[in-house]
Amino acid sequence: MNCKDCADKLDRYVDRELNSTEVLELQLHLEGCPDCEEHYEFQAHMKRLVKHACECDTPPAFREKLRQILS
Amino acid sequence: MAESPAQTAFAEEALTHLDTLYRGALRLTRDPDQAQDLVQEAYLRAIRYQHSYQQGTNMKAWLFAIMRNLFWDRFKGSRKEDVSLDDVGEFVLYDKLRDEGARPEADVLDKLAASEVVKAVEQLPPLHREVVLLVDVEGFSYKDAAQALGVPIGTVMSRLHRARQQLQKSLYDYAVESGIVRGNGGQPVPQP
Repeated sequence: MNCKDCADKLDRYVDRELNSTEVLELQLHLEGCPDCEEHYEFQAHMKRLVKHACECDTPPAFREKLRQILS
Repeated sequence: MAESPAQTAFAEEALTHLDTLYRGALRLTRDPDQAQDLVQEAYLRAIRYQHSYQQGTNMKAWLFAIMRNLFWDRFKGSRKEDVSLDDVGEFVLYDKLRDEGARPEADVLDKLAASEVVKAVEQLPPLHREVVLLVDVEGFSYKDAAQALGVPIGTVMSRLHRARQQLQKSLYDYAVESGIVRGNGGQPVPQP
Protein backbone atom coordinates (compact mmCIF):
# COMPACT_ATOMS: atom_id res chain seq x y z
CA MET A 1 0.00 0.00 0.00
CA ASN A 2 1.26 3.47 -0.87
CA CYS A 3 0.33 6.83 0.68
CA LYS A 4 -2.33 7.57 -1.93
CA ASP A 5 -4.07 4.22 -1.34
CA CYS A 6 -3.87 4.94 2.37
CA ALA A 7 -5.38 8.42 2.00
CA ASP A 8 -8.20 6.98 -0.14
CA LYS A 9 -9.09 4.52 2.61
CA LEU A 10 -8.59 6.77 5.59
CA ASP A 11 -12.23 7.87 5.90
CA ARG A 12 -13.44 4.28 5.85
CA TYR A 13 -10.77 3.28 8.35
CA VAL A 14 -11.81 6.06 10.73
CA ASP A 15 -15.44 4.99 10.26
CA ARG A 16 -14.52 1.30 10.85
CA GLU A 17 -15.84 0.33 7.46
CA LEU A 18 -12.83 -1.57 6.07
CA ASN A 19 -12.71 -5.35 6.07
CA SER A 20 -10.13 -7.13 8.21
CA THR A 21 -7.65 -7.59 5.35
CA GLU A 22 -7.83 -3.91 4.43
CA VAL A 23 -7.45 -2.92 8.09
CA LEU A 24 -4.32 -5.03 8.38
CA GLU A 25 -2.80 -3.59 5.21
CA LEU A 26 -3.57 -0.07 6.31
CA GLN A 27 -2.23 -0.56 9.83
CA LEU A 28 0.99 -1.98 8.42
CA HIS A 29 1.36 1.11 6.25
CA LEU A 30 0.61 3.46 9.16
CA GLU A 31 3.24 1.77 11.32
CA GLY A 32 5.89 2.53 8.74
CA CYS A 33 4.69 5.96 7.61
CA PRO A 34 4.67 8.76 10.21
CA ASP A 35 3.06 11.21 7.76
CA CYS A 36 0.07 8.97 7.11
CA GLU A 37 -0.14 8.08 10.81
CA GLU A 38 -0.31 11.79 11.62
CA HIS A 39 -2.98 12.30 8.95
CA TYR A 40 -4.99 9.43 10.40
CA GLU A 41 -4.76 10.88 13.93
CA PHE A 42 -5.97 14.20 12.55
CA GLN A 43 -8.98 12.62 10.81
CA ALA A 44 -9.90 10.64 13.91
CA HIS A 45 -9.55 13.78 16.04
CA MET A 46 -11.81 15.65 13.61
CA LYS A 47 -14.49 12.97 13.88
CA ARG A 48 -14.34 13.06 17.70
CA LEU A 49 -14.55 16.84 17.62
CA VAL A 50 -17.75 16.81 15.58
CA LYS A 51 -19.27 14.13 17.79
CA HIS A 52 -18.50 15.89 21.06
CA ALA A 53 -19.58 19.31 19.78
CA CYS A 54 -22.94 18.02 18.55
CA GLU A 55 -23.76 15.86 21.54
CA CYS A 56 -26.59 17.02 23.72
CA ASP A 57 -29.16 15.30 25.89
CA THR A 58 -32.90 15.48 25.56
CA PRO A 59 -34.37 18.08 27.93
CA PRO A 60 -35.71 16.12 30.95
CA ALA A 61 -39.11 17.87 30.87
CA PHE A 62 -39.62 16.88 27.23
CA ARG A 63 -38.52 13.31 27.96
CA GLU A 64 -41.09 13.07 30.74
CA LYS A 65 -43.83 14.64 28.63
CA LEU A 66 -43.19 12.18 25.83
CA ARG A 67 -43.11 9.27 28.24
CA GLN A 68 -46.52 10.27 29.55
CA ILE A 69 -47.96 10.70 26.06
CA LEU A 70 -46.75 7.25 25.02
CA SER A 71 -47.74 5.39 28.17
CA MET B 1 -51.52 5.64 24.19
CA ALA B 2 -50.06 2.16 24.69
CA GLU B 3 -52.96 -0.25 24.84
CA SER B 4 -51.27 -3.58 25.52
CA PRO B 5 -48.14 -4.87 27.26
CA ALA B 6 -46.59 -5.40 23.84
CA GLN B 7 -47.23 -1.77 22.91
CA THR B 8 -45.84 -0.61 26.24
CA ALA B 9 -42.71 -2.68 25.69
CA PHE B 10 -42.38 -1.26 22.17
CA ALA B 11 -42.74 2.30 23.43
CA GLU B 12 -40.18 1.66 26.17
CA GLU B 13 -37.67 0.30 23.70
CA ALA B 14 -38.31 3.15 21.29
CA LEU B 15 -37.70 5.68 24.05
CA THR B 16 -34.20 4.31 24.63
CA HIS B 17 -33.33 5.99 21.30
CA LEU B 18 -34.78 9.36 22.25
CA ASP B 19 -31.43 11.16 22.57
CA THR B 20 -30.45 10.14 19.05
CA LEU B 21 -33.74 11.37 17.64
CA TYR B 22 -33.68 14.60 19.62
CA ARG B 23 -30.08 15.42 18.63
CA GLY B 24 -30.89 14.67 15.00
CA ALA B 25 -34.06 16.76 15.08
CA LEU B 26 -32.31 19.64 16.82
CA ARG B 27 -29.51 19.76 14.28
CA LEU B 28 -31.90 19.41 11.36
CA THR B 29 -34.41 22.04 12.51
CA ARG B 30 -31.86 24.19 14.41
CA ASP B 31 -34.67 25.06 16.79
CA PRO B 32 -35.39 23.31 20.13
CA ASP B 33 -39.17 23.83 19.96
CA GLN B 34 -39.42 22.55 16.40
CA ALA B 35 -37.15 19.66 17.33
CA GLN B 36 -39.45 18.62 20.17
CA ASP B 37 -42.53 18.86 17.93
CA LEU B 38 -40.81 16.79 15.29
CA VAL B 39 -39.65 14.11 17.72
CA GLN B 40 -43.07 13.88 19.37
CA GLU B 41 -44.77 13.47 16.01
CA ALA B 42 -42.18 10.87 15.00
CA TYR B 43 -42.85 8.81 18.12
CA LEU B 44 -46.61 9.01 17.68
CA ARG B 45 -46.20 7.85 14.10
CA ALA B 46 -43.84 5.07 15.17
CA ILE B 47 -46.36 3.77 17.68
CA ARG B 48 -49.14 3.96 15.10
CA TYR B 49 -47.10 2.04 12.54
CA GLN B 50 -45.22 -0.26 14.87
CA HIS B 51 -46.56 -3.27 12.96
CA SER B 52 -44.30 -2.24 10.10
CA TYR B 53 -41.20 -2.51 12.29
CA GLN B 54 -39.47 -5.86 11.84
CA GLN B 55 -38.26 -7.28 15.13
CA GLY B 56 -34.53 -7.84 15.18
CA THR B 57 -33.77 -5.02 12.75
CA ASN B 58 -32.23 -1.70 13.73
CA MET B 59 -34.93 0.20 15.62
CA LYS B 60 -32.78 3.32 15.96
CA ALA B 61 -32.37 3.53 12.18
CA TRP B 62 -36.09 2.89 11.69
CA LEU B 63 -37.05 5.66 14.13
CA PHE B 64 -34.55 8.07 12.62
CA ALA B 65 -36.01 7.35 9.19
CA ILE B 66 -39.49 8.28 10.44
CA MET B 67 -38.20 11.48 12.01
CA ARG B 68 -36.19 12.62 9.01
CA ASN B 69 -39.03 11.80 6.60
CA LEU B 70 -41.33 13.97 8.69
CA PHE B 71 -38.68 16.68 8.64
CA TRP B 72 -38.51 16.59 4.86
CA ASP B 73 -42.32 16.55 4.56
CA ARG B 74 -42.58 19.59 6.80
CA PHE B 75 -39.70 21.66 5.61
CA LYS B 76 -39.25 20.65 2.00
CA GLY B 77 -39.58 23.71 -0.17
CA SER B 78 -39.69 26.09 2.74
CA ARG B 79 -36.00 26.86 2.56
CA LYS B 80 -33.71 27.63 -0.28
CA GLU B 81 -30.53 26.17 1.12
CA ASP B 82 -31.72 22.62 1.14
CA VAL B 83 -30.16 20.39 -1.38
CA SER B 84 -27.07 21.70 -3.07
CA LEU B 85 -23.61 21.96 -1.67
CA ASP B 86 -21.13 24.32 -3.25
CA ASP B 87 -18.27 22.47 -4.81
CA VAL B 88 -15.30 23.24 -2.60
CA GLY B 89 -13.09 20.88 -4.59
CA GLU B 90 -10.78 18.51 -2.81
CA PHE B 91 -10.37 20.50 0.37
CA VAL B 92 -8.32 18.59 2.91
CA LEU B 93 -7.90 20.59 6.10
CA TYR B 94 -4.94 18.52 7.18
CA ASP B 95 -3.04 19.28 3.95
CA LYS B 96 -4.02 22.94 4.14
CA LEU B 97 -2.70 23.29 7.67
CA ARG B 98 0.50 21.48 6.74
CA ASP B 99 1.04 23.81 3.80
CA GLU B 100 0.68 26.75 6.15
CA GLY B 101 3.12 25.38 8.68
CA ALA B 102 0.52 25.00 11.42
CA ARG B 103 2.08 22.10 13.30
CA PRO B 104 1.12 19.92 14.95
CA GLU B 105 -2.02 20.14 12.86
CA ALA B 106 -4.27 18.58 15.52
CA ASP B 107 -3.53 21.49 17.87
CA VAL B 108 -5.60 23.70 15.59
CA LEU B 109 -8.62 21.47 16.17
CA ASP B 110 -8.24 21.86 19.93
CA LYS B 111 -8.53 25.62 19.51
CA LEU B 112 -11.83 25.52 17.65
CA ALA B 113 -14.83 26.44 19.77
CA ALA B 114 -17.48 23.71 20.01
CA SER B 115 -20.15 26.27 19.11
CA GLU B 116 -18.34 26.97 15.83
CA VAL B 117 -18.20 23.28 15.03
CA VAL B 118 -21.95 23.00 15.65
CA LYS B 119 -22.49 26.08 13.49
CA ALA B 120 -20.45 24.54 10.67
CA VAL B 121 -22.48 21.32 10.91
CA GLU B 122 -25.77 23.23 10.96
CA GLN B 123 -24.75 25.20 7.88
CA LEU B 124 -24.46 22.05 5.82
CA PRO B 125 -27.46 21.41 3.58
CA PRO B 126 -29.80 18.95 5.37
CA LEU B 127 -29.08 16.11 2.93
CA HIS B 128 -25.43 16.27 3.87
CA ARG B 129 -25.99 17.27 7.49
CA GLU B 130 -28.04 14.17 8.23
CA VAL B 131 -25.25 11.88 7.03
CA VAL B 132 -22.73 13.58 9.32
CA LEU B 133 -25.21 13.30 12.20
CA LEU B 134 -25.73 9.61 11.65
CA VAL B 135 -22.14 8.53 10.97
CA ASP B 136 -20.05 10.97 12.97
CA VAL B 137 -22.32 11.90 15.87
CA GLU B 138 -24.39 8.73 16.30
CA GLY B 139 -21.80 6.23 15.09
CA PHE B 140 -24.04 4.53 12.52
CA SER B 141 -22.39 2.17 10.06
CA TYR B 142 -22.71 3.18 6.41
CA LYS B 143 -25.20 0.33 5.99
CA ASP B 144 -27.42 1.50 8.84
CA ALA B 145 -27.17 5.11 7.69
CA ALA B 146 -28.19 4.00 4.20
CA GLN B 147 -31.19 2.21 5.71
CA ALA B 148 -32.23 5.25 7.74
CA LEU B 149 -31.92 7.56 4.75
CA GLY B 150 -33.32 5.19 2.15
CA VAL B 151 -30.33 5.54 -0.16
CA PRO B 152 -27.57 3.22 -1.40
CA ILE B 153 -24.36 2.93 0.66
CA GLY B 154 -22.43 4.63 -2.15
CA THR B 155 -24.65 7.70 -1.74
CA VAL B 156 -23.93 7.76 1.99
CA MET B 157 -20.21 7.65 1.26
CA SER B 158 -20.27 10.37 -1.37
CA ARG B 159 -22.48 12.69 0.71
CA LEU B 160 -20.29 12.10 3.74
CA HIS B 161 -17.16 12.87 1.77
CA ARG B 162 -18.57 16.12 0.42
CA ALA B 163 -20.01 17.08 3.79
CA ARG B 164 -16.66 16.59 5.49
CA GLN B 165 -14.90 18.64 2.83
CA GLN B 166 -17.37 21.49 3.35
CA LEU B 167 -17.13 21.15 7.11
CA GLN B 168 -13.36 21.34 7.02
CA LYS B 169 -13.51 24.33 4.69
CA SER B 170 -15.92 26.15 7.05
CA LEU B 171 -13.73 25.39 10.06
CA TYR B 172 -10.64 26.51 8.21
CA ASP B 173 -12.34 29.81 7.28
CA TYR B 174 -13.31 30.27 10.93
CA ALA B 175 -9.75 29.45 12.06
CA VAL B 176 -8.41 32.10 9.70
CA GLU B 177 -11.01 34.71 10.73
CA SER B 178 -10.32 34.15 14.39
CA GLY B 179 -6.56 34.20 13.95
CA ILE B 180 -6.00 30.56 14.90
CA VAL B 181 -4.16 30.09 11.60
CA ARG B 182 -2.74 32.74 9.33
CA GLY B 183 -4.54 31.82 6.14
CA ASN B 184 -1.75 32.81 3.81
CA GLY B 185 -3.34 31.25 0.78
CA GLY B 186 -1.41 28.06 1.01
CA GLN B 187 2.01 29.67 0.91
CA PRO B 188 4.32 28.03 3.43
CA VAL B 189 4.96 30.09 6.53
CA PRO B 190 8.72 30.71 6.79
CA GLN B 191 10.20 28.59 9.51
CA PRO B 192 12.58 30.27 11.98
